[in-house]
Amino acid sequence: MRRTFQAVLLILAGAGVLRVSLFGDIALRYVKQGLQPYLVASGIALCALGAIGARRDGLPFPARRQEGGAEDREAAPVHGHDHTRGPRAAWLLLPPALLLLLNAPPALGSYTAARDSPQLVVEYESFAPLPASGPVPLSLTEFIARVQQEERQSLQGRTVVLQGFVTPGEDGTWRLARLLISCCAADAQSLAVTVHGVTAPPADTWVTVTGTWHPDGALGTTSAALALDAAAVDRIPEPPLPYVDRPPAAG
Amino acid sequence: MQDVRDTSPQSEKQSEKQPGTGPGTRPDARPGTPSGARRRVRAGSRAGSRSGEGADFRGPATAPVLAAGAASVLAVAGLAWAAGAAQWLTHPGFRAWQTICVAITLQALPFLVLGTMVSGAVNAFVPERVFSRVLPRRPALAVPVASVAGVVLPGCECASVPVAGSLVRRGVTPAAAFAFLLSAPAVNPVVLASTAVAFPGSPEMVAARLVASLAVSAAMGWLWLRFGRAEWLRMPSRHTGHRHGHRRWEEFRLGFQHDFLHAGGFLVLGAMAAATFNVAVPGSVLDAFSGSPWLSVLFLAGLAIVLAVCSEADAFVAASLTGFSPTARLAFMVVGPMVDVKLVALQAGTFGRAFALRFSAATAVVAVAASSLAGWWLL
Repeated sequence: MRRTFQAVLLILAGAGVLRVSLFGDIALRYVKQGLQPYLVASGIALCALGAIGARRDGLPFPARRQEGGAEDREAAPVHGHDHTRGPRAAWLLLPPALLLLLNAPPALGSYTAARDSPQLVVEYESFAPLPASGPVPLSLTEFIARVQQEERQSLQGRTVVLQGFVTPGEDGTWRLARLLISCCAADAQSLAVTVHGVTAPPADTWVTVTGTWHPDGALGTTSAALALDAAAVDRIPEPPLPYVDRPPAAG
Repeated sequence: MQDVRDTSPQSEKQSEKQPGTGPGTRPDARPGTPSGARRRVRAGSRAGSRSGEGADFRGPATAPVLAAGAASVLAVAGLAWAAGAAQWLTHPGFRAWQTICVAITLQALPFLVLGTMVSGAVNAFVPERVFSRVLPRRPALAVPVASVAGVVLPGCECASVPVAGSLVRRGVTPAAAFAFLLSAPAVNPVVLASTAVAFPGSPEMVAARLVASLAVSAAMGWLWLRFGRAEWLRMPSRHTGHRHGHRRWEEFRLGFQHDFLHAGGFLVLGAMAAATFNVAVPGSVLDAFSGSPWLSVLFLAGLAIVLAVCSEADAFVAASLTGFSPTARLAFMVVGPMVDVKLVALQAGTFGRAFALRFSAATAVVAVAASSLAGWWLL
């Protein structure tokens, strides 16, 4: 790779990173929120070094005219070996950079959630009492924990509101699912609750589901079914933090 | 600095290599057709040592053609992605592959930028005699000191190979240089910090990685003292670090640019392999390996060698391999920075193939043993 291409590649990579981190929240489809400032800093550093490189070495396209200037500078190899030719592996940086700039891939969804993966829910020490009346907004994590862990069975007879995306199952069944990440999208773990009583919306649609626990097994033990008898399903826009499991906004 | 380029007059390799005929036989060699003008000028400035190579030639222009071809293929692919032209391009599995690929790359990128910046700065601003001065004279003592010295020098494995080469050339005992070569990419602060980030809430993973990597590097240094033979080594003959009369900031910039692009390319390659693995391989195959403790350690050690993920990013890949035991993931992180396909190629170019194959094979065995022990002890 010519050194002039190297500068262009640095700028493209930096611009791609800045586009998803500084000019929007697209980066949250891929990584945790805490990484965003570091991504911005990296993008700025790459753009700056690429710009300096382009200024020093020229750009590839008018390269013919600038070659005279480049010769003097490159007359003495910097480390005794040659840095004027970069590594060919660097071309591999181009597709992800263009992808981020032009057509950033979506957050992981039903395709990933439909694949087998264990449903990991932390052991709750204790459960806060539910509000006295009305439907209860719960995160998927808390709903699953209450169904399978809570000995007081406070979900018995209560209406809950959950949100997630639609993951089609076999034979027309579907599940309300969420993906949780601990670091980046590569380590996504899925949570899912089977929904009864309403036909499946299209895959990957984000919805809130209002309903009651589907009585199957003993509530408060691991035999309890992770399922809901739905009374209503409402479409919602995709949340900005797709991997953060929150209860739906009340009302 | 991975451009493997042996310019010493006594090297028979150089005479075999036809300049200007595209990629050479050596791994990672660059296509030998830079512009004739540039070469001519450089040869003039160092006429004595490279008269054979300095002839003005304009061989078949394979490199520009290849570069243009690669660029156009990638541009077309990028446009196809943008337009969503073909059905398979929008297949959810392929989109998930892209997402995971981008996610691993983005997650590792800040660490890669930081690591290559610091290693570029060390390369340009820290004199090498500092390294050789702090080492004890007795080789057997110099080995563990060099292992520990790797802790303070951030850089990924691609950076440590040429540094170790220059240490050997400056008269540091090879055993100590190899201990440094193995430990520096595995246990430096950037790598340990990224390990801590990738495994939140399990500091014992960081400790186990540190202990196992130091043990492997020291063991390999001592093994070299006992069994190593000088004739396996083709002594490196290049400079690294600051050279008199060159602007340090420019050296820093070029070093960073080169190291970042090189390591970034391999990072994307590793992310692609890991994403393929993540999306395409059914869970049952992983279960077959992850079920057995011994098989899973060997399997992930082999995966580390094949995936060749940069040491600053490999903790995130290891963290994503959720089906495996902590010991197996530790083996992935201990073996990865020390032995992988890309490193064997780099070492073969710097120290010679006879060395690289023997050294990497021995290192892989020692690293698997050490990570099993450390995993049994700490995890």
